[in-house]
Amino acid sequence: MEMLSPYRVLDLTTERGLLCGQLLGDMGADVIKVEPPGGSPARGLGPFLNDQPHPDRSLYWWAYNRNKRSITLDIDRPEGRELLKRLVAGSDFLLESFNPGEMAARGLGYDDLAALNPKLVYVSITAFGQDGPKASYADADLIIMAAGGPLVLTGDEDRPPVRVSIPQAYLHASADGAVGALVAHHESVRSGRGQHVDVAAEQSVAMATQSYVLAAPLGSVEARRMAGGVKFGPLDIPLVWPARDGYIALTFLFGSALGVFTRKLMHYLCERGFCDEATRDKDWIAFGEQLFSGAEPLSEFERIKRIVSEFTSSHTKAELLQLAVERGFLMTPITTIEEVVKSPQLEAREYFRPLEHPELGRSFLYPGPFAKFSATPLRYRRRPPTVGEHNREIYCGELGLSDADLRNLSERGIV
Amino acid sequence: MADALPLADVKILDFMWVMAGPASTRMLADYGATIVRIESPTRVDTARTLQPFHNNTAGPDSSGLFGNCNAGKLGITLDLGNPRSREVVHALVRWADVVTESFSPKAMRAWGYDYESLRRIKPDIVMISTCLMGQYGPLSRIAGFGNMAAAISGFHNLTGWPDRPPASPFGAYTDYVSPRFTAMAILAALDHRRRTGEGQYIDQSQAESSLHFLGPAILDYTANGRVQSRVGNADRECAPHGVYPAAGEDRWIAIACRTDAQWRALCSVIGRIDLAADPRLATAAGRREHSEEIDRAVSEWTRGMGAGAAEAHLQHRGIPAHQVQNSAQIARDPQMAHRGHFVEVNHTTLGKTVVEGPRARLSRTPAQVRAAAPVLGEHNQHVLEKILGYGEDRITDLVAAGVFG
Repeated sequence: MEMLSPYRVLDLTTERGLLCGQLLGDMGADVIKVEPPGGSPARGLGPFLNDQPHPDRSLYWWAYNRNKRSITLDIDRPEGRELLKRLVAGSDFLLESFNPGEMAARGLGYDDLAALNPKLVYVSITAFGQDGPKASYADADLIIMAAGGPLVLTGDEDRPPVRVSIPQAYLHASADGAVGALVAHHESVRSGRGQHVDVAAEQSVAMATQSYVLAAPLGSVEARRMAGGVKFGPLDIPLVWPARDGYIALTFLFGSALGVFTRKLMHYLCERGFCDEATRDKDWIAFGEQLFSGAEPLSEFERIKRIVSEFTSSHTKAELLQLAVERGFLMTPITTIEEVVKSPQLEAREYFRPLEHPELGRSFLYPGPFAKFSATPLRYRRRPPTVGEHNREIYCGELGLSDADLRNLSERGIV
Repeated sequence: MADALPLADVKILDFMWVMAGPASTRMLADYGATIVRIESPTRVDTARTLQPFHNNTAGPDSSGLFGNCNAGKLGITLDLGNPRSREVVHALVRWADVVTESFSPKAMRAWGYDYESLRRIKPDIVMISTCLMGQYGPLSRIAGFGNMAAAISGFHNLTGWPDRPPASPFGAYTDYVSPRFTAMAILAALDHRRRTGEGQYIDQSQAESSLHFLGPAILDYTANGRVQSRVGNADRECAPHGVYPAAGEDRWIAIACRTDAQWRALCSVIGRIDLAADPRLATAAGRREHSEEIDRAVSEWTRGMGAGAAEAHLQHRGIPAHQVQNSAQIARDPQMAHRGHFVEVNHTTLGKTVVEGPRARLSRTPAQVRAAAPVLGEHNQHVLEKILGYGEDRITDLVAAGVFG
């Protein structure tokens, strides 16, 4: 028995909301991916296995559709909608990410389906939410990152703001959708009634501003972007530092909590001959405030940064990581995806999981369970489905259609 | 009568601190969970020292980050090193459905509050430990912040310009990703407990949760052997796709053409229908090949235009575009106002202050931000008296023993 195994999820999301259903599926829910005939448009998104575009070889699709079954269904036709409604009657969750109003225009909005199944939790994942002045805006990952706040804070100061190269916005929204779905589900157990969960990605990505989205309403200074760091007031604060063979992340900050770590690091640097005792013995708790007030000149911060940089750049990433483990310094290497996949830490925890793709005669390593549950470990029961792989199983085996019915629907392009 | 908040029956004893952990229980607090949050009376929560500050002034209660991560929780101080604090912790464990903690591994064991110990007190307790790298493994001892987990998980290397060192995502990236996983893990484990009576222990590595946000890049390596790296603002599907200068200092407009029709509309908006007719640029692949020429043409138009005006022109023609907003602009964003993204709360020492609103909007039982974040020890009396039912004598005795610092 898995945590969500009694529950069925109908996943109608486009390329926008795929992660939401996968998360519910990873926790045990029976997730049925409902795709238009021919397959979801998300199957057209690369990269592809061996760079060969094919609906069953999209690695984008693979990344977000594990633990789902797939049926095809044309919900733009009345018979398709009737079949969907029969599925809705036996489902606990419905996930969708069409433009606002498109489901309602098909007669498949929350109110329509709640009339059939009052317990249904209906999750909508969109860029700006179901209503409001920007609800009908044209969207893309970059557009949401621009609107919600992370973009302006990211990148080199002498170039335009930059996003994470792997699209993130709808992943934040999908994860918020999964939480919202489970909150509404928890309530429905008590009340017997479902509801509509409306997630706006613009709000979800504001989470990635580390609360700096609140700067203006709080009357605080705005942070500004700087490559591998942040500019705040007069300070250029680096968080990325050079190593001999690449870069590391190092938290070198001040104040009553973080200054303690900086003091520990400066003691070590002094011991190793990178700085003198006077430098070591600065008040690292108060140093930030002293820079702001002018009690310490900014040139002094620049000098200290050169010292720290001399230290980091004279060591390899592996040496610095070892020091972090042994001495509790706040630093980790900046790794490539190859280094991540080969990480001894992730290997020790058996993180990456092979999933067999019988249709290709191979198995592939997938990112593993998002957490380790002692009583109900997350299981990877199913590789991402091929287009309509479970049509027969679900339409005939579960909805009770005959083979002839299914053939007929298929010939008419409904399935 | 209005429906009760959806998680009104959920009780959480929260040992978490800094950002990733508290952000997860903040989500649950918005939906009605009762969160009793333990703070050390002596070792300040790092989050209380972090910018941005209310009125731009540092102080133990003025961190907007702390306020944002802890709104709606009950705060009590407990000196966990004081032996008399054990009876309070044990009573709270018996009260709670869920215990959460985000220390580096072993801290809870040192206090005798590891899962094996707590389940002896409360057999069906759900406990979650969340930390950077997980509870075991050669790097499990690494303590620190989400920027470090993001760096070692590949996010830094995948953010920035190919001809420059990694720019890295802003701040502590995995601290923004992992709280959702923490929250959903708690809710799913509670559902399992309701049905089976079985509690459990959850070991969350924030790095491992966050890697689900890099799925396609990981599979590109495990399936194709290709190591993806940062590509600036280039996109696999859209072209043009970039951030263009607008009039004013550090003002920008993001534009992403997802279809050929959007490209032709863009050409018309920027007064370059000649480009729309150019066969070299008819497909996204062709436009990517000539991106410098296109970016120059787009920039010539955006440069003279206010970012907000450019957004309006482009969106009017159905082209994905948005001005790049900082906090001040988001605070004036009509859509964010419509969604209630900024919520005013009354704080015990700051007076009126602002936190972010809840994310998912529930139609029948919407979330409520019920209170500001607690000041240190704000709810000691309330928790002891109302939740644990302690009488005045017992409370006086515990205070005298220094349990609350």
